[in-house]
Amino acid sequence: MIDFYSFAPEIFLLTLILISITLGVLNKDATITINTTGFSLLIIFLIFKGHSLYQNSLFSLNTINLILLSKIILSIGSIVFILLSRRSLKNENLFRYEYILFILFAILGSFVLISSDNFLTAFIGLELQSLSLYLMAAFNTKNLNSNEAGIKYFSLGALSSGFLLFGISMIYFDTASFTFQNLANFSTISEVGLALVLIALFFKVSAAPFHIWTPDVYEGSPTISALFFASLPKFASLIFLFRIYHELNISKIDSLNYIFQLVCAISLLVGVYGAITQKVIKRLLAFSSINHIGFILLAIMSYQYMSEGTIFFYLIIYLVTIFGVFSVILNLRTSEGEITLLTGLNGLKASSRSKAISMLVFLFSLAGIPPFAGFFAKFFILSASINEGLYLLSVIAVISSVIAAFYYLSVIKNMFFNESENELLLDNSKLSSFIFIFSALVLTLFFFYPDPLINLVDSLFY
Amino acid sequence: MSFPILSLLILTPLIGALTLSLSNSAQLKNKTIFASGLWIATGEFILSLLLPIFYDKAENGYQFTEFHTWFDKFDINYYLGVDGVSIPLILLTTFLVPICLLCSWNSIQNRVKEFVIYFLLLESFIIGVFVSIDLVIFYVFFEAVLIPMFLIIGIWGGENRLYATFKFFLYTLAGSVLMLLAIIYIISITNTGNIEIISKFIFDENIQLILFLCFFASFAVKVPMFPFHTWLPDAHVQAPTSGSVILAGVLLKLGAYGFMRLSIPFFEFASYYFQPLIFSLSCIAIVYTSIVALRQTDMKKMIAYSSVAHMGFVTIGIFTLTQDGMNGAYFQMISHGIVSAALFLIVGVVYERHHTRMISDYSGVTNIMPKYSFFFMVFMLSSVGLPGTSGFVGEFLVIMSTISVNVYLTIFTAVGVILGASYMLLLYKNVNFGDVKSDIKKLTDLTTIEIFYFTCLAFLTILLGIYPKLLFDMIDASISIGIL
Repeated sequence: MIDFYSFAPEIFLLTLILISITLGVLNKDATITINTTGFSLLIIFLIFKGHSLYQNSLFSLNTINLILLSKIILSIGSIVFILLSRRSLKNENLFRYEYILFILFAILGSFVLISSDNFLTAFIGLELQSLSLYLMAAFNTKNLNSNEAGIKYFSLGALSSGFLLFGISMIYFDTASFTFQNLANFSTISEVGLALVLIALFFKVSAAPFHIWTPDVYEGSPTISALFFASLPKFASLIFLFRIYHELNISKIDSLNYIFQLVCAISLLVGVYGAITQKVIKRLLAFSSINHIGFILLAIMSYQYMSEGTIFFYLIIYLVTIFGVFSVILNLRTSEGEITLLTGLNGLKASSRSKAISMLVFLFSLAGIPPFAGFFAKFFILSASINEGLYLLSVIAVISSVIAAFYYLSVIKNMFFNESENELLLDNSKLSSFIFIFSALVLTLFFFYPDPLINLVDSLFY
Repeated sequence: MSFPILSLLILTPLIGALTLSLSNSAQLKNKTIFASGLWIATGEFILSLLLPIFYDKAENGYQFTEFHTWFDKFDINYYLGVDGVSIPLILLTTFLVPICLLCSWNSIQNRVKEFVIYFLLLESFIIGVFVSIDLVIFYVFFEAVLIPMFLIIGIWGGENRLYATFKFFLYTLAGSVLMLLAIIYIISITNTGNIEIISKFIFDENIQLILFLCFFASFAVKVPMFPFHTWLPDAHVQAPTSGSVILAGVLLKLGAYGFMRLSIPFFEFASYYFQPLIFSLSCIAIVYTSIVALRQTDMKKMIAYSSVAHMGFVTIGIFTLTQDGMNGAYFQMISHGIVSAALFLIVGVVYERHHTRMISDYSGVTNIMPKYSFFFMVFMLSSVGLPGTSGFVGEFLVIMSTISVNVYLTIFTAVGVILGASYMLLLYKNVNFGDVKSDIKKLTDLTTIEIFYFTCLAFLTILLGIYPKLLFDMIDASISIGIL
C-alpha cells in the first residue's frame, strides 16, 4: 500500500504545474498569481501540518525536521524568485510562461531529492531538477552565449548523471538495495560506487575540482537564471549531500572521508584563486560560490558538534546574501543592457546610495567581516570544525577568506572609490528594492538581536 | 542594574551616524554636517569623562559591568566592563575624534556626510574594543574597525591610496583570522568567552605556545612590530590627516592593548618563553626604523617610522613583565597617542597650505609661522623625550625596567632614544630654520581652530609630563593584576 499522504507537497506541486500549463497559455501573469498563492498555502501547510506527513516513515525526528525546514525555505525562496523573475525577464524581453514551469519543475525535483530515502528516487529528483536548469541556462534563445551555456551545462551534467547512475548500480550490485537504511557494511565495490555518487553530487553543487562549468554557465545564462543556479537547487543538493553523509556514516569510511576533505580544501582554494582575476561580475560570483561550498562541506563534515543548526544557519545567511546581491545587480542597467563587467559598478555610491550601501553589507558579509551575519555563519562553522579536530582545513578556510576579502574589497573599491563611466539607468522596481534592503537589514541587525534566527534553527534540532 | 554608560558610549556615535545617514544630504550644508558630527563627538567626550570620575580606584577588577546573554547556546555574551587599563584609552579616543573632525573642517570638501559617518562608526567600534571583556565581542569590534578605516583611506587618501588601503586591510585581516582560530579553540576548551575566567585558566604549555603565536600574529601586525610594519608608512602617507591622527593615535594601541589584556594574562608560560623573540624584534624595530626615519624625505613617512620605533618601546616595556615596565609601556602608549597625533596634525597644517610633504620644500618656516613652529617644538621635544614632557616618563620607565631583565636591551633602547632625538631635531631644523624660501612666504600662520586644538594637545603633553601620577593612579592597580 503506497502512502500517498506523505507525497502531499509533491502532489500539490504537480497539480500546480498542471494548472500553470493550462492557464499559462491563456494568461501569463495569472500563472504568477496562482503560483505565489500556491506556494504560500504550501508553506502554511508545511508549518502547521508538516509533521503528520512523515509519521509513518522510518525517518528520525531530526531528519523530518530537516526535510520540513528545507521545504519551507525552498517554498519561500520560490515565491521571491518567481516574483523577481517576472520583472527581470520582462526587462530582457524574455517573459514566457515556460520559465515559471521550469522553476516549478526544478523545485519539484528538489522536493523529491530532499525527502528521498533511496538512491533511485534521489536520482529522479536530481534529474528533474537538472533538466529544468539546463533549459533555464539556455532560455535566452537569441543569445549565443546563453545557448552555449545551456549546451555546456547539459553535456557536463549528463556526464555527471552517468557517474551517478553507475555509482548507484555498483551499490545495488553489492548490497541488492537502494534504500539508505539498508546500507550498513560497505565492501570495496560499494565504496567505489558511493564515491561516484559523491562525485556526481559535487558536480551538482559545483564543488572544485568538479566546478569547471560554473563560471561559464553563470556568465552565459540570463542573470536571473544564474541567481537560481546559485541558490535554491544548490541548497537542495547540499541538504541531500548532508543527509547522505549523515545517514550513510561516511565519516566512518576513511577513503570517502578523505575525498570529502580533499574536495573541501580544493573548493576553498580554487574558489578564491579563480575569483581574484575575474572582471565579470557573474564569474566572480560563481567562483565565490565555490569558496562558500567549501565552507559548507566543512560544516557537513563537522556536523556532530553543533548538529544541523550550523549548516542551516550558514545556508540561510548565504541565500539571503545571494538574493540581495543579485537583486541589486538585476536593478542596474546601462543603455546597452544589463551590466556585466565589474567596472560597470563604478561610482554606484554616487548614483544610488541605498544600492551601494546594501552591496557593501553583502560583500563584507560574504567576506566574513564582523559585525555582519556572514561573520557569525563562518564563526559557527569554524567552531564546529575546530571542535571536530579538523585543524588543517580550518586554517585553509580562514586563509581562503583572507584572500577572498581581496576581491570583495575590489568590488567595493569600484563602487565607492571610482568615478562612474557610463550613466547607470536604475530600474527601481519596488520588489527588488525591498529584497535587497530587507536582506541588508537582516545581515546587519543579526548582530544586535541574533536570538530569533538562532532559536528558529536550533529548536528544530537537538 | 546601574546606568549602562558603556553601552551608551558605544551607541551614541552609532546612533549619531545612523541619524546623519538618514538625513537628506541635499539640504544640508557641509558645515552643518561637520558641526553636528562635532556635537556628537563632543557629547561623547563629555560622557566618557564620567568614567574616570566615577571609577573606584581602590577596587580591583572590572567596573560598570553590563551583562546580556547574546548567543545563549555557546555561552557568548554581551559582557562589557572597564578597568584602569581601558579608561585612559577610551578617553584618548573620545578626545582625538573631535580633533580629527575639527582638522578636516577645511581640508575635506567632498562627500562630507560620509566622512563624518565613517568617523563616528570608527569611534564606536574602537570604544567597543576597549570595553568588551568577552572574547567574541572583542574580536567583532577589533575587526569591524577595519571597515570605516578602509573607506576613509580609500576615499579621501592621496594618489596611491588604493594600494595603501588594500595593504592595510589585508595585512590586518590576515593576522586577525589566526587570532580568530585561537579564540575559537580557547572557547572550545574553556567553554566560555569571558576574559576574566579565561585568565585564571591554565593552558597546556605546548598549546600555549601555538595560541600565543596566533594572538601575536594579530597584535604584532596592529602594533606594528618589526617585520610586519610595512603597511604603516604606506597607510600613513596616503591617509588624510585625520585618518593618520586616528591611526597613529588609537588604532596602533589596539595591538598593545591586546597584548596587555589578552596575551599576557592568558599565556603566562608562553609570554616568558617568547620574551627573547619580542625583545629582539622590538630592538630591531627601534634601531632600524629610527635609521630609516633619518633618511626619509617625506615628513609623514618620517613620523610614521618614528611611530614604529616608539611602539617598539611599548612592546619591550610590556614584555619585561614587571610593574615598572608595564606602567612605562602604558604611559608611552598614551603619550605616543597624543604626541604622534599632534605631529601628524602639524604636518597636516603645512600640507593643507603648501600641498607638499617633502622636507626639502620647506625652510625657514619659523619666520613666517611663529606660532606654528612653537607648537611644532613642543611636540617634537615631547617625541624626543625631554624631561617635563610626557614622552620622557614612558621612555625612562621602560629603559629603567629593562636593566633588571637584560643589560643589552638597555643599550639598544638607549641608542634608540639618541637616534630618535637626531631625526626629530633634523626634521625640525630643516623645516623651521634656514633661509625663507620664496614660496613659503605666502603661507599663513595658525588659525584659531588650529591654535585651539594644538593648545589642548600641548597642555595634555605637559600635564602628563609634570604630573604623571594622574595616569599612574588610574592604571597601577589594574596592571598589577595583569602581571602574574
